[in-house]
Amino acid sequence: MQLRVNRDKCTGCLVCLTFCSFHHEGLIWPDVARLRIEAETDNGPFSPQVCRQCNARRAAEGALAYCAEACPVEAIRFRERTGAWVIVQEDCMGCGACEEACPFGMIVFDDQRERAFKCDLCGGEPECAAMCPSGAIEWQKR
Amino acid sequence: MRRHVPQRGDRVAETMTTHPYKGYAGQWLHVDLTSGLLESRPYDRGMAEQYLGGNGFGARLLWEHMGPEVDPLAPESLLVFSTGPLCGTLVPNPGRMEVVAKSPLTGIYGDSNTGGFLGPELKFAGWDAVVVVGRSSHPVYLAISDSTIELRDARRLWGQTTSATEHLIRVIWGDQAVKTATIGPAGENGVLFSGIQTTPQRSAARCGLGAVMGSKLLKAVAVRGHGAIPVADPDRFHQVAVDLHQRLRANPIFEAVAAHGTPGIVSMMDALGRFPTRNFQMGSFPDVEAINAEALEARAFVRHLACFGCPVACDKLYTLPDGPYAGTSLRSVEYETLNAMGAAVWNADLDTILEANRLCDELGMDTISAGRAISFAMELWEQEILNLEDTDGLALHWGDRDVILTLLERMARREGDFAALLSRGVRQAAQAIGRGAEEYAMHVKGMAIAAQDGRAQKSMGLAHVTSNRGADHLKAFPTIDETGYPDEARRRYGEDYLPEMAQPLATKHKPYLVKDGEDFGAVVDSTGVCKSGGTFVLAEIYWSDVAAALEAATGMEMPVERLKRIGERIYNLQRCYNVRHGITRADDRLPRRFSEDPSPSGNARGETIQLKDMLDEYYELRGWDKVTGWPTRAKLQELGLEDVIEELDL
Repeated sequence: MQLRVNRDKCTGCLVCLTFCSFHHEGLIWPDVARLRIEAETDNGPFSPQVCRQCNARRAAEGALAYCAEACPVEAIRFRERTGAWVIVQEDCMGCGACEEACPFGMIVFDDQRERAFKCDLCGGEPECAAMCPSGAIEWQKR
Repeated sequence: MRRHVPQRGDRVAETMTTHPYKGYAGQWLHVDLTSGLLESRPYDRGMAEQYLGGNGFGARLLWEHMGPEVDPLAPESLLVFSTGPLCGTLVPNPGRMEVVAKSPLTGIYGDSNTGGFLGPELKFAGWDAVVVVGRSSHPVYLAISDSTIELRDARRLWGQTTSATEHLIRVIWGDQAVKTATIGPAGENGVLFSGIQTTPQRSAARCGLGAVMGSKLLKAVAVRGHGAIPVADPDRFHQVAVDLHQRLRANPIFEAVAAHGTPGIVSMMDALGRFPTRNFQMGSFPDVEAINAEALEARAFVRHLACFGCPVACDKLYTLPDGPYAGTSLRSVEYETLNAMGAAVWNADLDTILEANRLCDELGMDTISAGRAISFAMELWEQEILNLEDTDGLALHWGDRDVILTLLERMARREGDFAALLSRGVRQAAQAIGRGAEEYAMHVKGMAIAAQDGRAQKSMGLAHVTSNRGADHLKAFPTIDETGYPDEARRRYGEDYLPEMAQPLATKHKPYLVKDGEDFGAVVDSTGVCKSGGTFVLAEIYWSDVAAALEAATGMEMPVERLKRIGERIYNLQRCYNVRHGITRADDRLPRRFSEDPSPSGNARGETIQLKDMLDEYYELRGWDKVTGWPTRAKLQELGLEDVIEELDL
């Protein structure tokens, strides 16, 4: 299971960002979406950046994602069912180490709440892929 | 790479939590350019309940503050940028913002709607609307960064094109994500059909609102917002929005609109004989295949582009790969522009059309009215009403590419007497030229008629004269009978209205179609949602859908009847605004050509349009006086517009 990006299809509509933020925050708030759309210009080309869920395939063997490896309190744990690395909010102490560690800039750090947030694949049914109208982001179940 | 949520700005503006209805930012930004006053103004809940937002807010503000005594280009004149409660939310294509002012082109109610990303950005910054009055002592631009507002010096930006202005503002700001509304030289120079260009290359083009902005020495409004929009009932709103997205994507014409955008209808309209050619002498263009969607895509298509939150993505990036204008790159070339710079001026050269489009965007002019000014002048030349002395030396032969581009440049800069005259629009230019020129000025109430012909689609002829901003297809936006959507007609109006409701040449039931479209359109334009997406072009989203979305987003109880009443109220108020400016039934008329010269081609061959019976029925449906064309006391009472009754002395 993984999110698959076909960047040539992206129209830059940002539907993914609005639905992502709504799912996680109950607000329409593109700034805290757990994915982002990089745009070379206003008229594209666009490149959706989603969390890669690093090392998901080797997680059973004990491999870690960069963020999980960096987390000093082991608050970022793998969910077998969804294939996502999830930040367990009760355990997160807001140090920001995961944000520093992620090479892809996919951790959202909220200074006000002093907590880090990341893509959890919406518990197995990612909103971004479900709502993407162009097929630029797809959910591959395999 | 760091992704900190920025600290500046409130995540949910304080007014959003105190406003009785969600979906709104709950405050307007009031800007007085004369005094430099910048302040947040809350507005009372009745405003949201009676007028929703966008278009409705603008209409009410004009009514209250802009009487007939105020010149649209005077400092006291009001310029309103207004979003709506669904703008920036989850429903399909919620990227729309309305700009409202008294039009310097027509002298009556004026509005223009723009897509893109600016409206949502304003909401994320925590503002429902920006209301601008006064005149600055020097060029300025308004910078809105969440709750931090500044008027910044724009002396170095004055004279710049729209894209250069946006680029410079972004560089100075240090943020490429800043969204702007800018005017070009045309707006600065007071061209009466100058528009306001918004990020990214979308235009609030009609009604000459760029000139209003220019008269205030306001070069641009620049916005960056980091906040959030709350809704009243998240679960229900999500459900409504997902349902609307899914229905749009399943709509039978979704694929066609998504694939080709508005250029997709060029060939279709040409076959129907409603593709104005040579200033409406004809309804079909012999070289249409050189300028239709297929030609455009083969020549210049790069990629599909969407406005904020839009699944349709009717914008396309077009770039000319070679030729004299190699590199000319445009976000969307609309059906209207392909007509105005193509068939209407007898020009079959696609590259020239694209270059003309680029010039209009950069100089900040409405492609429709600018093109119509040229086709009007070319017909006067053909009729020998104009000669070289009148035209500053330009021989205005049909289809002359250099003349088209030269006139655009000259009009924007008001260079030379002739171009300066044309820059006042076809009505004023015809009056000044005299010698029978008025015969060839294709306008209603001063607004040039777009690429729509009432002879070939009777509802459109009626829509042109009843539109509150002068000739306009987008107020009633009668798409149901444009090419004939019998299924949509059945779904919306029921079996009783068929088959005529879906037939372009039938007049039966069309007054009802026009009235319903005007009321529904007034609502859509007041919510911040696009009419080109699901509501009119796809004819998928209708009253009950908008009511459900509004109810879930705002928490306002919204039975369909109440929503219909709001649409009617807004439309009647705009009409009353025009009545206050002297408009009567006598002004609700088309140029003579439409009623007397039969259409020579296509499906409409031999057709003229006679408005009298349709108009009588329309006024009756509206509850307006058939002699004066004014809303009646009873109708206004029913709509709760007592203050309007008093002012108009009805």
